[in-house]
Amino acid sequence: MTTTWTAAALSQDVPAGTAAPGRLGDRDLAIWRSASGKIAAWADRCPHRGMRLSHGFVRGEALSCIYHGWRYGQTGQCIKIPAHPGLEPPDAIRVPAFAVAEASGVIWVADGAPATAPPAFEGFTGFRSLQVDAPASVVAEALGGKGDAIRAALGPTPAVALIQPLGPDRSGLHLLAPLSAAPEALDALSVAAEDLRRRAEAGQKGRAA
Amino acid sequence: MRHQWYPVGIAAKLPDSPAESLLLGERVHIGRAKGGGPQVTDAKGRALPVLTRFGHVWTTLGTPERDLFTIPEADQPGRRLVDVGTVRVRCSPLRAVENFLDIAHFPFVHTDILGAEPHTEVERYEVEIREDSDEVWATKVRFFQPQAAKSAGGGITTDYMYRVPAPTCSILYKTSPPRPGEWDVITLFVQPMTEELCQVWPWMALFDDASTMTDMIHFQQMIFVQDRSILENQIPAKLPLDPGLEIPTRADMTSIAYRRWLKRHGYTYGAQLVAA
Ligand code: FES
Ligand SMILES: [Fe+2]
Repeated sequence: MTTTWTAAALSQDVPAGTAAPGRLGDRDLAIWRSASGKIAAWADRCPHRGMRLSHGFVRGEALSCIYHGWRYGQTGQCIKIPAHPGLEPPDAIRVPAFAVAEASGVIWVADGAPATAPPAFEGFTGFRSLQVDAPASVVAEALGGKGDAIRAALGPTPAVALIQPLGPDRSGLHLLAPLSAAPEALDALSVAAEDLRRRAEAGQKGRAA
Repeated sequence: MRHQWYPVGIAAKLPDSPAESLLLGERVHIGRAKGGGPQVTDAKGRALPVLTRFGHVWTTLGTPERDLFTIPEADQPGRRLVDVGTVRVRCSPLRAVENFLDIAHFPFVHTDILGAEPHTEVERYEVEIREDSDEVWATKVRFFQPQAAKSAGGGITTDYMYRVPAPTCSILYKTSPPRPGEWDVITLFVQPMTEELCQVWPWMALFDDASTMTDMIHFQQMIFVQDRSILENQIPAKLPLDPGLEIPTRADMTSIAYRRWLKRHGYTYGAQLVAA
């Protein structure tokens, strides 16, 4: 059981009223934000007929499945079955929910209840997420560091890189940039991040060959 | 499962040189015989049994006990027979059939066409497994539709019947907008390519003198493309036949009967037996 936090997405990529797919270990997540801004991370599977909830739609404080419109409240409890408007959905219909917290513009998820809050990176905020076709260790190496949170200068801009393993040959790279960074510095960071991705993927291919 | 008839092509559109396809995971080629009729061969080049019905070419890898089912209504004069074409879907052939049997998704997946909020209620209907014909039937199904068919001008409450005459085939009988006393026939014939990949061949026999063939085909294809966005995103990909993994309600009585009937027949290609 993962009781540590995993960086799963950037806050800016899940605006109020939307849902997006995410991962926690080998599990698919539906990460969504209510109209009032509350974030939630659930198993990405509707208990009714298995549709991915990340394809669903948000209305107010609830997420609805796109297939038959079953509506789920903040805790994952089913609160409405449109085919039977008069029926109160049984308690048993509930989507498993994961722990979720936001810090420095990053959405962190965990299975269970981590003992501490997710890390905050003073002066930084979520800037951009990329997917890299290389394992986390190769991405870390390309950044010249180790572990899943690396402080690195990408081009001229200092950044925090959070690396999320997405399987044996795939990683998520969540980049944080200085709050004070000027637009040109952010552009340079983007270019440097794409270059890093190319290097990591080329390194991975070289290794595999 | 090998001893069933499966659709593999449109009779009027057979390719000049044999086209490769898959049936139950085995390679088959579909083309024309010397005389111009359909020919289907297996991976070893042997000719498989073929028959042509409902505008489609059907074949089997085994020796079916029964003739392919019939649709007597489709023979009524005055109907237009529509070969809709084909859509390939990365899903279990059984999930494709089950989706076709489902009306509760209309307001959400076919919004403003086959359904619209707030008209989401599914009234009680009747479902049975007919022992004489060994088919699943759902009758007295009613649903409000903003635009039930290409020929429908505005919203109407549509009556439906559903029939499952074979594990990967379903027939929908639906009020004909221009002829309220008659049923339009819309079918979904599914070719199981693998357990998680299929080719759907919709076919229609309609009372519709007003729409062009192209319009009718586009309408139906648009509907199936909307369904595909669902079918390729269900977890697990295979249809769970055992209760427990998924939670049905009264609106799903047809799906419950279909799953039970598949299980009774041991039809497990594209199915998941134990709850994961
Ligand atoms: S699968 Fe989600 S509401 Fe039916
Ligand atoms: Fe549909």
